[in-house]
Amino acid sequence: MKKKAKVKRVIVLFFFSLFLLLSFSEARVLPVYAVVNCKIFPVSGPPIEKGVIVIRNGLIESIGEEGKIVIPEDAEIIEGEGCFAYPGLIDAHGSFFLETKKEEEPSSERERLPALSPQEKFKPHPEFQVFKSLKPKKSVLESLHRIGFTTVLVVPEEEIFAGQSVLLNLNGEEAQAMVVKNPFALHINFVTNRNTYPTSLMGTMAFLRQSFLDTEHYALHSAFFSRHSKGLRRPEYDPFLESLIPFVAEKKPVVFNCANLEDIKRALILIDEFKLNGYIAGANEAWRVVGHLERAKVPLFISLDYKPPLNSIYATQGEELREKAEKEIYPENPAILSKKGLRFALCSHTLKKSEDILKNVQKAIERGLPREEALKAMTIIPARFLGVDNLLGSLEQGKIANIIFTSGEIFKEGTRVKRVFVDGLSFEVKEPPKAEAPALFNISGRWLAKITSPMGDMEMTLEIEQEGNSILGKILSEFGQWEITDGLITGKELSFTISAMIMGETVELTFKGEAEMDSLVGTFSFMGITAAMRATRIPGENFKRGGIR
Amino acid sequence: MREKIISFMIVLNIITCFAVFSFAQDLLIKNGTILTITQGKIPKGDILIMGGVIRRIADNIEPPPGVKVIDAIGKFVMPGIIDSHTHIALAGVNESGETISSEVKMMDVLNAEDPAIFTALTGGVTMVHTMHGSGNPIGGENVVLKMKWGKPSEEMIVHEALRTLKFALGENPKQANIFSLGEPRYPQTRMGVNAIIRREFLKAKDYLEQWERYDEAKRSKNPPKNLLPPRKDLKLEPLVDMLRGKMVARCHSYRADETLEFIELSKEFGFKIAAFEHASEAFKIADKLVEEKIGISIFLDNWAYKVEASEGIAYNAAYCAKKGVLVSINSDSNERIRRLFNDAAKAMKYGDLSEEEALKLITINPAIQLGVEKIAGSLEVGKHGDIAIFSEHPLSAYTCCEITIIEGEVYFDRAQYLKQREEEKKKEEVKKGLN
Repeated sequence: MKKKAKVKRVIVLFFFSLFLLLSFSEARVLPVYAVVNCKIFPVSGPPIEKGVIVIRNGLIESIGEEGKIVIPEDAEIIEGEGCFAYPGLIDAHGSFFLETKKEEEPSSERERLPALSPQEKFKPHPEFQVFKSLKPKKSVLESLHRIGFTTVLVVPEEEIFAGQSVLLNLNGEEAQAMVVKNPFALHINFVTNRNTYPTSLMGTMAFLRQSFLDTEHYALHSAFFSRHSKGLRRPEYDPFLESLIPFVAEKKPVVFNCANLEDIKRALILIDEFKLNGYIAGANEAWRVVGHLERAKVPLFISLDYKPPLNSIYATQGEELREKAEKEIYPENPAILSKKGLRFALCSHTLKKSEDILKNVQKAIERGLPREEALKAMTIIPARFLGVDNLLGSLEQGKIANIIFTSGEIFKEGTRVKRVFVDGLSFEVKEPPKAEAPALFNISGRWLAKITSPMGDMEMTLEIEQEGNSILGKILSEFGQWEITDGLITGKELSFTISAMIMGETVELTFKGEAEMDSLVGTFSFMGITAAMRATRIPGENFKRGGIR
Repeated sequence: MREKIISFMIVLNIITCFAVFSFAQDLLIKNGTILTITQGKIPKGDILIMGGVIRRIADNIEPPPGVKVIDAIGKFVMPGIIDSHTHIALAGVNESGETISSEVKMMDVLNAEDPAIFTALTGGVTMVHTMHGSGNPIGGENVVLKMKWGKPSEEMIVHEALRTLKFALGENPKQANIFSLGEPRYPQTRMGVNAIIRREFLKAKDYLEQWERYDEAKRSKNPPKNLLPPRKDLKLEPLVDMLRGKMVARCHSYRADETLEFIELSKEFGFKIAAFEHASEAFKIADKLVEEKIGISIFLDNWAYKVEASEGIAYNAAYCAKKGVLVSINSDSNERIRRLFNDAAKAMKYGDLSEEEALKLITINPAIQLGVEKIAGSLEVGKHGDIAIFSEHPLSAYTCCEITIIEGEVYFDRAQYLKQREEEKKKEEVKKGLN
């Protein structure tokens, strides 16, 4: 009897997976849209009061005043009354879709410094392409759409040579289809304390210089060798230097992540010394070195993070000054740069929460950055810096259809992004989730769950780890072990998602329900099919933090 | 962790100080007792600084129009104090990832916002030699800075100074006091420290020859088509500069034996040692140091804090100075840096130096060691207007630095600073009262 039920379950799941695949391929046929009746801000020209945008094959087929544009017969018409259309915003320096490793704090000062064995030797990896470790997630995609981002540069975060970034259009969750440019640049951090050489900032500077010098020498040797190979020893193959050649010898972009004003100067020195195609990123202290930046004329990817750097005089001299700095002084950075005529892009940089990004753009405007400059700094300027202004950054015929529709003027309090087009695909933007109420119960621990579905019953064990509102953990069932993701508990309400491998396909099941001290009740849903779950706490087996991984 | 030395209020005060004095490079200091260091004591005189440089030292100088005047009547005016060995104003002190780290430069990691700069000013210090630590046999290239608190880091650098490379002998580089969990690194003995330094210099000689051969070939009438320059090695470049006499050694060493060995090494390769650091056994080899024209940069009365410092004596400075060694007193500390004049005074008690001889330990002597004696270290026409004004004779136990000036700009004014602090306090109290 039980075995029969199991077979039945598997068959049902198989059809569902098939259906899932079909719906995917359907999405690839790009529909034709005509958005009518909206106010258009193309950035590249004056606003159009009542305009039409026709989108075909992922591109802007035509754009202009109503009446002057022919609306194709095959177009799906979208009424845009009351809406404002802008080019999709570009985040020129972020690190979304990357899994962050939890760093373990060194337990003592001794452990952090020397104790170097030859085995621990430094392995630099400038060849690392962040594209290969992308994990696009729907929830992140939605939160970025909510801000108005349609394009992001994903930047690798760790190490001196962090690796190479990738430019993505936020058109779905398939990494390959998202790529606009890969790689864009090599990213460099001024790392201050590592376990192996270089362990210090001065060592990092020396290491960077030596790496650049060696690359130049290697490139020169290779060039000599390809011209007159007779009588010249071949250069010894070096994968590390090989991967630096495009950036050092061939002048592809090199982006220096600058945490403070001294980092900016260090970057400018290196850019000048090695004649690099250098970019400065981060730099929320750019306002303190305006003179340097005016002379250097390098592209700036300015962070929207206004926290004063750790060792800054604004951070070390008491909480009062630090707070004032974060609220009033550092948010003026973009306005000051703009007044000095410096061109810059505004980037999420170290900000992870979507609310903060938008709030901080608004703060910059409050502190004197003209709204239209803010818009340029997130559209056409980053497009130019990223070398894609022929494709993105403004609403023009022939460019990629990355368009956002807002309920009012952009970056104004209360203005909401209602719909975004990315590569011509339409995404409706949902309201942001409401503020989270605190969890009423701590449901960390092991639970015995019973699932009742049309296909029969099933038992499984839940291992849950709760921290504040968020839920992590895994599910152990007879089909295998599945991770719990996006788990949230607000008040009594509990929801989470599990990605399960079923018949070689990854399917997402969502759970919604209520939590009590000793019971969890709710339903799983998957493609319209629901299954009830009732779980009881396994007593005495409270879970310790860290026990899951 | 950097300690929070001064509060937010004080920072605000300093910022306002800058606002008051920011364009003042011209200054007239009147009626002070001038301790010139090199040209005797002037009981009452004036010093005129124009464009940051001392233009006149005389009686009754009329203030040129627009020049700010400081009345120093009853006060003592001396050259700004120079600390020949510190680690302040830096983001990092040791590169501990490798035993030889000659490729690193302190100039790359300046931190102009280190409160220790302000601390230094409160003790009349206007210039410091800020150095790589003593963790490695060969450390990195040091840098000389003026304590221009509030100015960008690059404006603090004294480009006239000698280029110096840090060396270290004894317990620190052989990691005698480090109990590491990993494998011990080479070297673990004093002979190892000497050997590894020697090995690096041999490498540098080789490297220099490679470049010379290349340069020669390049200069020849028909240079070969495939002439490839040698790989540039940043570890060896500073050592080559030492071999060529473009850079000098500053060597951390305590014991007499290893000090002598290092002198032998310098003779073998022909490089110059500007000074030995700490040198608590210098009195044992004073004649040798005089013969070799090598200075020492030491603590006045601080010793026995580790085995290799056990033979230290308080008479070291005075004894060596009288023998003719170029002696300077250093702080090697963010805190001691503000009372170097007290340390100098101790050399009068321990070893009977004269007032002038004692003051030389913290002014002209360190200036000579750093190669900046043409611009600093004494009050002479043509030198930079780097000046400290004291309430009493700087060697008195009751003295206090009141004003510190660099290139004619006031960077620290105790009276004004205290006044502002008082005002801030009152404001704070009013605020509290309202709450």
